[in-house]
Parts: sequence; C-alpha cells; structure tokens
Amino acid sequence: MRLETFWIILGMAGVTFVARFLPMALLSRWSIPERIRLGLEYVPVAILSAIVFPLLFFDQTGNFEIQPRCLLSALCAFAFAWKVKSVWGSVLVGMLIFWMLGFML
Amino acid sequence: MDEPAWREGVKAATPIVLGYLPVGLAFGVLARRAGLTTPEAGLMSLLVYAGSSQFIAVEMISKGALWFPIVVTTFLVNLRHLLMSSTLSLYLNKKSLRVLALLAAQLTDESFAVAMSNRSKLAHGFAYLFGLQVTSQVAWITGSVGGAFFGGLIDHEGYGLPFALPSLFICLLVLQIRSPVHFWMMITAGVSSLIFKATFSGNWYIVLATLLTLGIGVLIHRTGRKGTERIER
Repeated sequence: MRLETFWIILGMAGVTFVARFLPMALLSRWSIPERIRLGLEYVPVAILSAIVFPLLFFDQTGNFEIQPRCLLSALCAFAFAWKVKSVWGSVLVGMLIFWMLGFML
Repeated sequence: MDEPAWREGVKAATPIVLGYLPVGLAFGVLARRAGLTTPEAGLMSLLVYAGSSQFIAVEMISKGALWFPIVVTTFLVNLRHLLMSSTLSLYLNKKSLRVLALLAAQLTDESFAVAMSNRSKLAHGFAYLFGLQVTSQVAWITGSVGGAFFGGLIDHEGYGLPFALPSLFICLLVLQIRSPVHFWMMITAGVSSLIFKATFSGNWYIVLATLLTLGIGVLIHRTGRKGTERIER
C-alpha cells in the first residue's frame, strides 16, 4: 500500500467519523442551529456541481476546452435522471451515449 | 433478548444489501480504474464506508489530487451525517461512548432510513441497529473488493467506462435539485468551480466553489424565502 493512499484513506475515515460521532457523543445536549441546518441542505448540490462542471469543460490535461462528446453525454444523462430518477439507468445512458459518440465524433 | 433483535436487524438489512452489492462492485471497478489496488479499495470501504465521498475521492485521486484537498472535500460531503447522527442520538440515550462510537462509525443514509422506518425497534436496545449496520457494511466491503478484483480484468477505456463516474455524479446532482434555489445553487457552484479551477492550481476548486455557494445560500435564506419552496416532480 502506498503511503499517500494510506493517508488519504485515514484522513477520510477520521473526518467522516467526526461528523457521524459528534452529535451522538454530545447526546442531544446540542441541537444543530437552524442556520447550519439550512447550509447543510445545499452541500450536496454545491459539491456535485463543483465536481461535474469542471469534468465537462476541462480536458484530461487540465486545459479549458469545449468537449462535445462529454457535453452531449452529460445532457442525456441529466435528462434521463430528471425524467426517470434512476441512478443505474442514468449511468448506463451516460456510458452508452459516450461510447456511441466515440464512433461518430 | 439481544440475539433475536440482532437477527431482526440483519433481516432488515436485506434491501440495503441488494443495493450495496452492485454499487460496491461499481466502486471497486472505478477505484481500480483510478489506480487504487484491491487492498486499498477494500480498506477504504472498511474505514471510510461512505459511498458518495468514496466515489468523489476516487475521481480526485485519478486527477492526481493530494491528500489534503481530498480529506477536506470528504469532510464537506459527509457533513450531512451530523443531521442523521443527531436524530439517532435521541434513541440512543444512556449508551456508553464505546457503543456509540461503534454505531456512529457505520452510520449511512440507507441504514439510517431503514432504522427510522421502524423506530420501535430502536427503543429496545442497540442490537437491532448493530445487526442492521454490520450486515450493510459487510455487503459494501464484499462488493468493493469483488469489483476491484474483477475490475483488473476489464478494458478501462471501453464501453463508455470513462463516463461512468460523471454520469453517476450528474444523476446524484439531479436527485438533489428539489427547488429553484437548488437549481441556481448548481449554476453558482458549477460556474465558480470552472473559474476557480482555471485560476488556482491543485484540486481546491471543489472546496472553494462549495464554500462560496453555501455562503450565498445562507444569505438567500436570510433575505427571504422566495424560490425555496419545493418543486413537485
């Protein structure tokens, strides 16, 4: 096992455990303030967007680039997820379109 | 009475097992694609055990991110456990810290949802929850290790596999859009992450864009609630 990977896993485990354990350890003596509760509501949408957009607009070497193959596949996966709300379905649609566009573009 | 409660928990985990095995397999395959070894993928599922953050970490590792941005991003992704943990704590009064640590370490969205669907079971002790959670994690680790093992045999560039993770993130993102504000949060985070990525080197753009968007989100809630109502879909 590489040392860098080991530290990544250990660090991830540590911060995740803190988020899971802290409220339990304080045994409901501390209730989460409304402001923080509202903020937490938007964490997933913010993080996922911050991951997805750069994946679509930057190439493998980290240069900004309009990539029609990625954008079209992403739009199809997005539309399918919006209509059908199936995780496996969207992943398969995204992969399928990406695979087929590889032959066309 | 502990033995039957434990078994009831194991039985209640059945739908989770059916969900975790294939997702774990997918994680294993993608972890392998990102350059992790089978033991590394297994260790991550054992110690971290948080699906979405593991997929995100794998994506960041494949882009060559170092440990610090990955750990901070993981922390942000898993902050939502605070809410689940504080809800569960209401049912776990008078348990020792050691027992709580054990239960907390295996808390996931899915096991929380199943536990909350049958709250009367929680009142009788922690054996039910423990059985439910251990069974779920065993399924997750089994899937991950299996996927990582067989992932070594698959052509990593074929069959649209490079677009598996982006598709997964896109779908999870769509499932999060529950109001017009969520949609504008997506645009804010997305556009600012592009700007941050173009401006700063390294993988801090995810954390920076998230914090900026959260700040704006909290401000919107202070100034008024227009647009925050849920849309029916």
